Amino acid sequence: MSLETYKHDMLRCTRCSYCKWIPFENFRQSDFIKGCPSVAKYHWHAYSAGGKFNIALSFLEGRIPYSEPFLNAVYQCQMDGSCDVSCKSVQDIEPLQLMQELRMRCVEDGQVIPAHTPMIDCLRKEDNMMQRLKADRGKWAKSLDVKDLTKEEAEVYFHAGCKYSFDEGLGHVARDGLTLLREARVDVGIMGQAEMCCGGRAYELGYGGELAKYASRHKKALEKAGVKTIVTPCSHCYQTMKVLYDKVGQKLGMEVLHITEYLDRLIREGKIKLRKPVPLTVTYHDPCHLGRLAEPWVHWNGKETKVLGQMIVHDPPKKFRRGANGVYDVPRNILNSLPGLKFVEMYRIRASAWCCGSGGGVKEAYPEFAIWTAKDRIREAKSIGAEAILSACPYCTQNFKDTIKETGEKLKVFDVIELVQQSI
Amino acid sequence: MELTEREYKALEDIVGVEYISKDLAIRDTYNQVWGNKLVFGEKWSPRPVAVLLPGNTEEIQAIVKVCNRYGIQFKPFSSGFEITAIGLASEKGIMLDLKRMDRILEIDVKNMHAVVEPYVSVHRLQLEVAKYGLYYGAVAAGPSAGVIASSCCHAGSGQTNVFAGAIERNVLGAEWVLPTGEIIKLGTAASGDGWFSADGPGMSLRGVLRGHCGANGGHGVITKASVKLYPWYGPSELERSGEIPALRAVKKVPDQYKVFVISFPTQDNGFDALAEIGKAEIAYSDYQIPLPPGGNLCEGNDEMWENMQKLDPAAAKMFATMVIVILGANSSREMEYREKYLLKILEKFGGILLPPLNDPMVHAGMFDASMFSFGSVRHVFRLTSDFFINPCADGSEGLCKNLHKAAKEVMGPYWSNGTILQVGSAIFHPVYENYTVGSHHEDMYMYDPYDPDSLEGTRELIGKTVDPNGKFRRLCVPCLGGGLQFEPVNHIHETWGSIYDNYDVWQRQIKAALDPNNVADWGCYIPPVYP
Amino acid sequence: MTEEKKLKEIVGAGNFSHEQAILGEYSEDLSFVPKVRPRYVVKPGNAEQVQKIVAWANETLTPLIPVSSGPPHFRGDTVPNEGGAVIVDLSRMKKILRVDSFNKLAMVEPGVTFAELQSELTKAGLYAYMPLCPRNSKSVIGSMLEREPITMPAHHWDCTDPMLCAEIVFGTGDKLRGGEAAGPDTIEEQWELGKAQMTPMGLGQFNEHRLISGAQGTIGIVTWSTLKCRFLSKMNRTFLVPSEQIEPLIDLSYKLLRIRLGDHLFLLNGLNLACLLAKTPDRIEELRAILPPWALIVSFEGYGELPEDKVRYQEADFIDMAQSCQIEPKTTLSGVNADEFAVILSRPSVEPYWKLRLKGGCNDIFFLTTLDKIPVFVSAISRLMYTHRYPVESMGVYIQPVVQGTSCHCEFNLYHDPAKKNELDNIRWMVNEGSRDLAKQGGFFSRPYGAWADFAYTGAAEAVAMQRKMKKIFDPKGILNPGKLCL
Repeated sequence: MSLETYKHDMLRCTRCSYCKWIPFENFRQSDFIKGCPSVAKYHWHAYSAGGKFNIALSFLEGRIPYSEPFLNAVYQCQMDGSCDVSCKSVQDIEPLQLMQELRMRCVEDGQVIPAHTPMIDCLRKEDNMMQRLKADRGKWAKSLDVKDLTKEEAEVYFHAGCKYSFDEGLGHVARDGLTLLREARVDVGIMGQAEMCCGGRAYELGYGGELAKYASRHKKALEKAGVKTIVTPCSHCYQTMKVLYDKVGQKLGMEVLHITEYLDRLIREGKIKLRKPVPLTVTYHDPCHLGRLAEPWVHWNGKETKVLGQMIVHDPPKKFRRGANGVYDVPRNILNSLPGLKFVEMYRIRASAWCCGSGGGVKEAYPEFAIWTAKDRIREAKSIGAEAILSACPYCTQNFKDTIKETGEKLKVFDVIELVQQSI
Repeated sequence: MELTEREYKALEDIVGVEYISKDLAIRDTYNQVWGNKLVFGEKWSPRPVAVLLPGNTEEIQAIVKVCNRYGIQFKPFSSGFEITAIGLASEKGIMLDLKRMDRILEIDVKNMHAVVEPYVSVHRLQLEVAKYGLYYGAVAAGPSAGVIASSCCHAGSGQTNVFAGAIERNVLGAEWVLPTGEIIKLGTAASGDGWFSADGPGMSLRGVLRGHCGANGGHGVITKASVKLYPWYGPSELERSGEIPALRAVKKVPDQYKVFVISFPTQDNGFDALAEIGKAEIAYSDYQIPLPPGGNLCEGNDEMWENMQKLDPAAAKMFATMVIVILGANSSREMEYREKYLLKILEKFGGILLPPLNDPMVHAGMFDASMFSFGSVRHVFRLTSDFFINPCADGSEGLCKNLHKAAKEVMGPYWSNGTILQVGSAIFHPVYENYTVGSHHEDMYMYDPYDPDSLEGTRELIGKTVDPNGKFRRLCVPCLGGGLQFEPVNHIHETWGSIYDNYDVWQRQIKAALDPNNVADWGCYIPPVYP
Repeated sequence: MTEEKKLKEIVGAGNFSHEQAILGEYSEDLSFVPKVRPRYVVKPGNAEQVQKIVAWANETLTPLIPVSSGPPHFRGDTVPNEGGAVIVDLSRMKKILRVDSFNKLAMVEPGVTFAELQSELTKAGLYAYMPLCPRNSKSVIGSMLEREPITMPAHHWDCTDPMLCAEIVFGTGDKLRGGEAAGPDTIEEQWELGKAQMTPMGLGQFNEHRLISGAQGTIGIVTWSTLKCRFLSKMNRTFLVPSEQIEPLIDLSYKLLRIRLGDHLFLLNGLNLACLLAKTPDRIEELRAILPPWALIVSFEGYGELPEDKVRYQEADFIDMAQSCQIEPKTTLSGVNADEFAVILSRPSVEPYWKLRLKGGCNDIFFLTTLDKIPVFVSAISRLMYTHRYPVESMGVYIQPVVQGTSCHCEFNLYHDPAKKNELDNIRWMVNEGSRDLAKQGGFFSRPYGAWADFAYTGAAEAVAMQRKMKKIFDPKGILNPGKLCL
């Protein structure tokens, strides 16, 4: 794939601007109808997916050089995919894929964001994006009696992810998740210090090579450990291992599940019993990487053709990923199973969820934009009377916590795992 | 051409450094819209020299004054989703992106009007006023269309015009920055006593604001407008089902509404029935549209094609003369009466309700498509990439019938040779205001601007429809009174004005009077003097 | 050639007058505008003659005052502001050019009155939308151009309704047929093509029809117009809803307007109702004494394919609605039969004109506002009357919702004996000065006749500037009714 691959889409973008909103069919409350944080904050059309189509086309045609506004439009974007869902509600073109290629082209041409460079350098040296030493990885699982997959085999590999591995404030969530599996007698192991980044976040920043590298390394290591199922509490890793590896032709030959999927399974099998009430009014924030971005990859190799004179179809038919097949119901099932919990939905949910603000390298490079984005989500949660906002991704929960700390808003933040743990 | 440092700084001083840009990347996102290839020969229309994001009326006024001082042309727009929205006639033109002006300022529930800023979309307003049992009419361009853009600045019709008024006639007030920098408020808006009438004192200056079409920014910037609202019989929130937005529709048509998808034996029967249904004063929605064979709810083109192939040819033909009628009623008695009347009309004109077109899922989709114009983008753009709608007119059924007849003759060869999408009769035809001021009629054609044959064929076809000596000469000024075109390229006003009572002579004088320095871009309006 | 000769050549000697008696009739009216005698009166018979008159007026810089209705005139708009004017009396242009039953419209010349039109419309199963019992001599086109409100708000989609397309001779002498009426063909050729001169939404990117509406003849002279008509009622049901206070009737009106239930819909005070029902002062006073202070008049007209069904369901829904407001609509009120009133509503006023029946004289104050503000204005004018010793009981009130209830026409009819100078002085003050107070309280004098033009444009300097620009375009030499509006 290259930027040129999407020239067809660039030409066909009509400037309908649906990419700026959640799909109109999903509008419920007029205060909460925006979909794209970038254009909502910065206003320039360049910040929308439509604008990126325009920029990419002009760039390909030699009409515009790189510039700071060009790069701001490219990188001040969480790559959350809301635009993609909205655009594809009315068109058969691929905005998010185009934006990914555009980033990769920028990186290829050396047009990178200084704030991202240390993350990538660290990744290349220390196998993590957190700018921490590889040697410190695995400390989150200290004194947990669990299989070490560098030495033993297990059916299930619990992949904590860089964020949970190194963030002391969040590590307990990974511990809780793993403990739940162990207590349910799941044959589970971890890689400990040998755990490595999935490569997904780097890919999202435009560093395409890292993804393939980590896909290959994971495949090798996990096959060797006899793993049948990967379980991760990190939505980003989930999406990377399930979808992105497949995209780049490195599909892992094993089941990839988010921990909520596995917990849901265990709850339904009776292996986890939710007994204690959790008396709280909560709302659930769909992480982008668990929701719309986690829709399985669809390979297609064909050509565009025309019928009825000018109607554009594909041969063979092309199944577009329109965001419907992400993981939406499973976390909700879990929440609805928690005794005493009152669950209220926000207005922008499922494939139309407003991003937490953290993705796409924004948290690192444009922290005030990340906070700005989260503020709107918190406002939305408060507007429906929630006492707590739940998510299933460490990046989401961290950003919400950071924002609440800054604003002093009274809203609790939890991961789904934490409430399950409370109810055991 | 570029702005000088001084010119740029003068503008920057008004909006702040954050809200102006002369960067090429930014500028090239304000000159690419559907239809450009047709008009300009490439995806890009002339590049603006700068783009600004003004935040309020006063900033716009100040910008306009700077433009007058330095001879810079300006063009305002909201969603920018129209071939006339961002095309510049000038080499030294700036774009005014009104995205930051997005407030709903007032909803007067009792007196049924709302006051909005330019970036308020139709569906956002619909959502808001539904809470109060009110409705703003759908615009066929889709839910993202700007309320001010459609009612004041451009043109358009909509699926519910029969009940919710012709869009041009729903303006009850406006605030308008003139090209001289003066600010005018029409009617009661000037007095501060409410925004309920835009007409007077004396002559109605709504007559300058717009005609068949608006000025597309050619005579200033409309910064606020008051629009008429209508009764809404449904709930304040509608439940929809379906994960994929393209397949989402109301779970069930609300009890206070009923949907009818009607097939007629001939097109003329259909036209006559549309008018009769209008005159019966029973309909909430009353229009003809080519339902995409294969259903109005299809995920993508491939799925649609698959569905279409499953249809037998006889069934496919049903879609050609299909009329959508939605009845809305405040009471069960009212609904009973309206339905009884409708069925009587169907009987008179041979209208039938074919089961495949009238199943609950089709009805649900048509309800959304009619009330909120969901799906319009997918139907006219996704199929082939682009579309155009000339011939089009607002007029009596007789005019519309003749227009369609001429359109069919002219378009026929282009359907046959595959230049344009072969759906047969691609009519959009909503009735206005209980058929008391006529109807709107469009013969749409979908084409691919990046297929050379399609592009050339379409150009040739359009050429025939805008030929002042062609089949359409006696029918109406093309492109909705000249407003849906780019005058420097298409010259509609220049070539048609003298045939149509020299309207262009007056319009040019209006332009000259309002814009002595010609700073409001005239590309989609009219120049004071033809170049 | 002398001017007189020239004009006679244009209109014919029999249609030209400079007799003092005739000139006197046009030099004043029942308003309080200053008396100014015109120089000539001409009565053109067709558009070509009108164009020639206008061309002549441009050459000679002669003010032209277009008049289409017959006397008595009330507004002052047909009295010249300047000396040397020529009255262009269009009453001779009386053709009903077309009645189109499919499109429910008629095409008329300016001299056609409602009574004349209605007799033709009836044959085609149609009915004219009328203002409230217009005088017999009222021109249909005149009424529409003045934006006089019709009595059926649900049918009133826009302020220019029921006017559709018009042929206009501008002050330059150029002619334009607006909206759907324009084109290379004659009107007859257009009819053959199926065009009906129906859609008025402007020709290009300006709307010529709106510029001539409310313009008091300052922009152009209309030589024909199409207008919307409604189906002739096969039956109807009319209700008179009484109330001691106006507020409950306003609430009920809002409910009706919200769902567009009802055809005729307006409010009157008891005096006005009496003036419409009775023909003599004594009878009016008798009736007024027994009628309620306020009445809402609502009718449900039966037309179309299911007239009985329509009336039946609408009446039933209305009764339910009224009951929920604890209001009781009546079909007979104080001995007045609503059906009898419906007949009165269905035609122009029989002589004497209803507004002149009580005392022989009447001056109106009217403006636009919203229904919820009516009580404020009723109080305000009552106070004004009290301070100026005008008997409130001699004031009629007529509230007409317009544009489907988004606003309303508020009209106060000040009845007086024109022979009594002190009464007249009071009325003059009320109309010229008192109304200024009402404007300050938010009354929108959208039709600024006479002295109202002095304050109607307050706060609207930009509108003034734009109207003057339009005047300069369409009437550069300022020959059409100069001095009116802000021009």
